[in-house]
Amino acid sequence: MSRYARRRIVNIVYLAASIAATAVGLIFLFLVLYALLRNGIPGLSTTLFTQTTPPPGSAGGLANAIYGSVVMTLVATLVGTPIGVLTGTYLAEYGKISWIAPTVRFVNDILLSAPSIIIGLFVYQIVVVQMGHFSAWAGSIALALIVMPVVIRTTEDMLTLVPGSLREAAAALGTPRWRVIVQVIYRAALQGMLTGVMLAVARIAGETAPLLFTALNNQFWSADMNAPMANLPVVIFQFALSPYADWQRLAWAGATMITLTILILNILARLLASWSSRTP
Amino acid sequence: MAIATTTAQLDRQRVWDVLFHNVTRIFAVGVLILLGGVMVALGIGAWPAFSAFGPSFFVSMAWNPVTDQYGALPAIFGTLVTSLIAMVIGVPLALGVAVFLTELCPAFLRRPIGTMIELLAAIPSIIYGIWGLFVLAPFLQLTVQPFLIDTLGNIPLIGILFQGPPLGLGMLTAGFILAMMVLPFITAVTRDVFLTVPAVLRESAYGIGATTSEVIRQIVVPYTRTGIIGGVMLGLGRALGETMAVTFVIGNAHEIHASLLAPGTTISATLANEFTDAVTPLYVSSLFALGFILFIITFIVLAAAKIMLLRLQQRAGT
Amino acid sequence: MTIDYSAAAPPQQRQTMPTSEPIAPPTPVPAPAVATAKPAVRAEIKDLRFYYKNYEALKGINLVLRDKRVTAFIGPSGCGKSTLLRVLNRIYELYPDQRATGEVLVEGRNILDPRQDLNLLRAKIGMVFQKPTPFPMSIYDNVAFGIRLYQKLRARELDERVEEALKRSALWGEVKDKLRQSGLSLSGGQQQRLCIARAIAVKPEILLLDEPASALDPISTQRIEELIAELKSDYCIVIVTHNMQQAARSSDYTAFMYLGSLVEFDETEAIFTHPREKRTEDYITGRFG
Repeated sequence: MSRYARRRIVNIVYLAASIAATAVGLIFLFLVLYALLRNGIPGLSTTLFTQTTPPPGSAGGLANAIYGSVVMTLVATLVGTPIGVLTGTYLAEYGKISWIAPTVRFVNDILLSAPSIIIGLFVYQIVVVQMGHFSAWAGSIALALIVMPVVIRTTEDMLTLVPGSLREAAAALGTPRWRVIVQVIYRAALQGMLTGVMLAVARIAGETAPLLFTALNNQFWSADMNAPMANLPVVIFQFALSPYADWQRLAWAGATMITLTILILNILARLLASWSSRTP
Repeated sequence: MAIATTTAQLDRQRVWDVLFHNVTRIFAVGVLILLGGVMVALGIGAWPAFSAFGPSFFVSMAWNPVTDQYGALPAIFGTLVTSLIAMVIGVPLALGVAVFLTELCPAFLRRPIGTMIELLAAIPSIIYGIWGLFVLAPFLQLTVQPFLIDTLGNIPLIGILFQGPPLGLGMLTAGFILAMMVLPFITAVTRDVFLTVPAVLRESAYGIGATTSEVIRQIVVPYTRTGIIGGVMLGLGRALGETMAVTFVIGNAHEIHASLLAPGTTISATLANEFTDAVTPLYVSSLFALGFILFIITFIVLAAAKIMLLRLQQRAGT
Repeated sequence: MTIDYSAAAPPQQRQTMPTSEPIAPPTPVPAPAVATAKPAVRAEIKDLRFYYKNYEALKGINLVLRDKRVTAFIGPSGCGKSTLLRVLNRIYELYPDQRATGEVLVEGRNILDPRQDLNLLRAKIGMVFQKPTPFPMSIYDNVAFGIRLYQKLRARELDERVEEALKRSALWGEVKDKLRQSGLSLSGGQQQRLCIARAIAVKPEILLLDEPASALDPISTQRIEELIAELKSDYCIVIVTHNMQQAARSSDYTAFMYLGSLVEFDETEAIFTHPREKRTEDYITGRFG
C-alpha cells in the first residue's frame, strides 16, 4: 500500500471518529429529551398548577413548588442582574488602567464555574445560621450569587463589542461619562445584555444544589419569604428518589416542565443574540 | 438663546460621574470580597472538624455519624475517580465534536449542531440525575456492565477495575454522565481556540497537500495546545463539583473499591445527601470541611484553566 | 437653499459659560470682518506636542484657526492630522496612555489646562467622525441628545431646535416625516448628516470634522461638502481629509503635516498653487503619500 493511500485511510478514520463523537453527543441529547417526554408528558395536567405537593399515595400537583421556583428565580434575577450589570460595566468601561479589573475578571470566571453546592454552603453559613432557620430569602440569595457571574460576563462582553467610535461620539458632545454609558452604550448593548440575563435565568431555573441548604423545601403552600419554600428542583430530587410511584410521576412531570422552560429560554436567548448581531 | 450652563449643573454632573464610577467599582470589588467570604465562611465552618481530626481527616476512611468519627478519603477518592472517568470518556468526544464543528461540518449545519451540543450544557444537573437513575443505570446494569465484567474483568491488572456485581449505580455510571455534562464545555473552549489558528497556517499546510487529519494533528493541535488543556481543565473543574447528577447515580457509599462498577460517593454527593440530616456539630463541621476541600481543589483547577486560556489569548493578541 | 436662519444665532452673540471655568465668559468679539481682512482668530495652537505612551506623535505644532473659515489638515496617513484634531476637544483623554503638552488657546484660555471641564469644552467644540455614529435611538432623540444635556427646554422649543439643526444639516426634508424612526435606519450619507445635525444642535463654536466623507459615496460626499460651505458662515470649521481635491475645494486654509510636524500652513490657494516646501509640493502633486 502506498504511503499516500495509508495517509488517506488514516484521514478517513479520523474524520469518521469525529463524526461518531458528534453523533454520540447528539444521540445523548435526544435520549434524555425522549425519556423526559415519554415519562413526563403523561403527568402534565392542570392539576400540577392547582394542587400542592401530596403526601405519598394521594393525588396532588406541584403548585407550591412552581410558585416557589418562580418567586425565588425572580427575586434572584432582580437582585443579581443590577449587581452583575454594574460590575460588568466597571470591567468594560472603567477598568482599563486598574489592577482591580483583571483580578475581578479572573475571580469571576472561577465563580462562573465553581460548584453551585459551595454557594449553598456559603449562604447557609452567612444567612441560614444567622437567621436561625431556612428561608426563601436564603434560597434567593444563593441563586442571585449564581446569576451574578453570568450577567457580569455577558455584560462585559456585550459592552466591549460596542464600537469605541460610539463612546467618542457621545463624549464629543460633552456628555458626562456616566450618561455616555447609561444612555448610549447600554442602549447599544441592550439585546446582548438581555440575552445574558435570559441565560442566567435558565441557569438558575434548574439549580438544585444551592437550594438544598437554603430554601430547603416545604410540603405545603407558603408565600412567606422568611420560611422554607417549596421549589421544583428540590421536590424533583426528593420525589424521584422516593419509592412511591405517584411521587416519581410528579418528579418526571416537574423535570419535563423545567427542561422545556430552560430549552425555550435558551433558544429565545440565542435568537435574540443572533437578531441583535445582525442589526447594525 | 444660550447654553444655560451653570456651575451648579456642571458640579452635579461631576458628582454623578464620580458616584457612578465608584458604585460600579464597589460592586466589582464585591466580587473579590465574595470569593474571600466564601473561603472564610467555609473555613470557619470546617475549623472544628479540622482541629478535631487533624491531618488524619484527609486519609481517614471513617464516616460514622453514630460514633461521630469522620474522614474525607472516600469522598475525595470518589470525586477524583468519577472526574477521571469523565475526562477519559469526555475529552476525546469533546475534541471530536470540536474537530467536526470546525473542520468538517457543512456550513448550514454548523449553527444547529453547535447549538444542540451547547444545549447539553443547558439541561440542569438534576435532569441528568433523574435520567441516569431511571434510564441509564438499568440499561448499564443489564447490558454494558455484564459485558465489561465478562471481558475486561478477566484481563490481568486492569481486570480489577471491572469486577463485582453489575449494580447499575456506581462510579462508572456517574463518570459516564459527568462525561456527557462536561462535553459541551470542553467543546465550546476547544472550538473557540481552534478558530484562533491563523487561516494562513492552515492554508499553507493544505497547500502542500496535507490531509485534514494531518492539519489537525500537526498544525491545529500544537498551535492551540495550551487552550485545549485549559478547556480540559475547565471541564475537570466542572466535573469535580457537579452535584445532583452524581448524587442520583453514585450509590452513596462511604467506601473505597478498586472496581469502577462499585458504589462510592463524592464530596458534593455527600453534602447533598447528608447536610440537612447532620445532627451533631462535628458532623456539620466535617461536611463543611469536605466543602472547603472541594472549593480549594476546584479553585486550583479552574485557576489553572483560566491562566492557560489567558496565555493563549495573549499570544493570539500579539 | 433659502432657509431662514434667523433663529440660529451666530456663535459670537451667545452669552455663555460659567465664570469659574478656564473658558472665559463672553469676550467682545470684533464685528464680522470685511471680506478682504483676515477674520478673527478663534483658536491658537502653540508648541503642541502629543504622546502615545512614549511615542511623540506631534512634534511642536503652531498654528491658528480662524473664525468663519474652514481649515484643512492634510498629509499622508500617520502624519498626525487626526491626532491634532483630537487634541482640540481633548477626546484623546478617553484613553489613559495618551497625553498632550503645549497650549491650545481659545478665547485666551488654554483648554489643555487640567482644570478645564472636559464636558463643557466638548459641548463648545463639536466633532464629527470618519464613520457615521448615530446613537441607537430615534432621529429626533439623536439630535436632541446634546441639547438635553445642558438645557432644559420646553417641548416646543426643543422641537424647534431639532428642526433647525436638521434644516441646517440639509436633512430635514428627508426625515421630517419619520423623526421617531431609529437613526440607524438611515443611509450612510444621511447618518453622517444626522451626526452633523447632532453636533451643531448644541451650537458649538468650533466644528471638528475627521474625514467626514471618507466612508461615503461621491454624491453623499458632495452634499457634505456643500454643507460645509453653508456652515462656514457661522462656525470655525476644521476638517481632516486625505482627499486633496476636497481640501482644495472646501477649505480656506490648509495645513500640510508630515511625520508629526507641521510642514506648511497657509491659505489653501497658496498651498496648492505655489507651495514653499518641496515635501508639500511632492505630496500635493501625488509623488508620495
